[in-house]
Amino acid sequence: MSIDVKDTAMSALLAPAPVKTRTRGSWLWLVNPRLAVGLVILAVMGLGSFILPFFAPADPSIQATYMRNLPVSPAHWLGTNALGQDIFWFLVFAVRNSLTLGVLVAVGVTIIATIVGLSAGYIGGRFERIVMLFVDTFITIPLLPILIILGALIRGNTSFLTVGIIIMIFGWAWDARTVRSMALSLREREFINMARFSGANTIQILVREVFPYVMAYTLVGFINTILFAINLEATLAVIGLSKIEVPTLGSIIFWALNYNALFTGQYVWIVAPIVATVLLFLGLFLTSTGFNAAFASKRGVS
Amino acid sequence: MIRLNNVVASYRTGRGSINAVDGVTIEIPDGCILGVAGESGCGKSTLMKVIYGDILSPMTLSSGSIEYGFADRRGAPVTSETVQQEWFRRISYVPQSSMNSLNPVIRISKQFIDFPGNDPDKRRVLDKVRAYIGKLGLPAEALDAYPHQLSGGMRQRMMIAMATFFQPELILADEPTTALDVVVQKEILMLLMELQEEMGNTIVLVSHDMGVHYQVTHRMLIMYAAKAVEYGDSDSVFEAPLHPYTRMLISSLPTIGDDRARQGIPGRPPSLWGELRGCRFADRCPLATDRCRVEEPALLEHRPGHFAACHYAGAEVPMGGAQWQ
Repeated sequence: MSIDVKDTAMSALLAPAPVKTRTRGSWLWLVNPRLAVGLVILAVMGLGSFILPFFAPADPSIQATYMRNLPVSPAHWLGTNALGQDIFWFLVFAVRNSLTLGVLVAVGVTIIATIVGLSAGYIGGRFERIVMLFVDTFITIPLLPILIILGALIRGNTSFLTVGIIIMIFGWAWDARTVRSMALSLREREFINMARFSGANTIQILVREVFPYVMAYTLVGFINTILFAINLEATLAVIGLSKIEVPTLGSIIFWALNYNALFTGQYVWIVAPIVATVLLFLGLFLTSTGFNAAFASKRGVS
Repeated sequence: MIRLNNVVASYRTGRGSINAVDGVTIEIPDGCILGVAGESGCGKSTLMKVIYGDILSPMTLSSGSIEYGFADRRGAPVTSETVQQEWFRRISYVPQSSMNSLNPVIRISKQFIDFPGNDPDKRRVLDKVRAYIGKLGLPAEALDAYPHQLSGGMRQRMMIAMATFFQPELILADEPTTALDVVVQKEILMLLMELQEEMGNTIVLVSHDMGVHYQVTHRMLIMYAAKAVEYGDSDSVFEAPLHPYTRMLISSLPTIGDDRARQGIPGRPPSLWGELRGCRFADRCPLATDRCRVEEPALLEHRPGHFAACHYAGAEVPMGGAQWQ
């Protein structure tokens, strides 16, 4: 078959084909300054906290390994605390544990929120109403009081994993609602209709058409959930409701407060975890907003 | 041949049911371009949905049936219940606005090969697609682009390429050129005509623009307030329209040398709520008599292959009045 473009005007228009083609597989277009700084901070903290523990001279969670309350020195970079633990190594383990918890919770929350939100928003009807009843219930439950009660009930018997699961249970609802609202608006878009008209079924439409649209948000939401999880665990630990023997960013602060680090002049003990937490949050925040900006530029005008 | 037998499509709402297409009976011969015209709300798009088989709540096919004239893979004739299996293979759809019909975050090539049931060898499919869009006047690089990197005309060509890739027997085009400027519009229409000539399939083209219909179509269906009011060969319809509504539509077209001001048809179509008696155009018709307001005209064959639903269609009533010129 041959179909010629008869009009010269159109063929002239088409000939130069001003289509920018990015090199496939290259992710360089994603990087903006904000994202770069965020990723560098995360890389340093992440790699450092995951590689350094292999070189730890002793398990920092064991008490009375060293002399108590030693000042900053080449042997103990941040000194030792009132329990005879090396503050630097305790901090390294704490960052590792907090990050692990945050990432695991974020993976769980993102998967649950995406599946629930996408299906509720796209399928709609009675299914959506029932699902959203659960989502709204979880959103309206006052989080902290419930956690304090739960913490008081399982105090001392809880494992680090349980803390993670509890944070997951209370963390997925907001994201699910956001994803659902995106799916809700996508459902009415013409390209979803076209996918349907070409014979795609609901699962195919969700995976191939809706998810790529939601994915950018999902990544940002994932990072925000890491923040949320670390934050919440720290909160629980500071008030002594988490597994306080495990080094986390919160449990350092708990022990420091418990031993009145501020009044005894052991500022390093309490300032170091706070600085680490702020740095970690800064890295996550910059990465999340950096990704947001990058994906917005990818979407272009549409 | 596609046969619509007394198709009634209604929307169920809280206030009750409303018939957006009310008893349309026509036969669409194979290998023709059928134009559907009428003003907003006359049931054009609903008729398209019914023919395409996209009958979803709150819309229902309350009575009537559609014979598609082709059999499915098991050999049974395709009906409104099974036509969904044939989507994009035997019957396809070119949407109104190509702007929104491509997923903005996915490359065109991926959208093209994501059609279900395609050849699993993606590279071979992609080669075929590349060759095909070349024939439709699109550069091969357009496949690697995101939709927003293409112009409106290129996007609409791409949609047409997707809709015609499997050489379907029936293509429904719901105002395919509405969002485009007249130069691109003409090219898109010519592309559709060339494809139709080559594949010998049937195209149903919905448009507000009588000029488009005059250039493109072989047969015309004029709808008014959910009813088919005139149906016939385009030549016959444009040369000698039988229904006063069609005449008024056609007389709204400008002709060279005629510099008289054009006027709209005064009044509005009747609300489809409540009981409708007589001819639905009677309130706006310069020829209406008491008979029109009481007795509903049937769609009758006044000339061979030319149907109209008007009591005074056969009689050559002089239409040249001051009402609409």
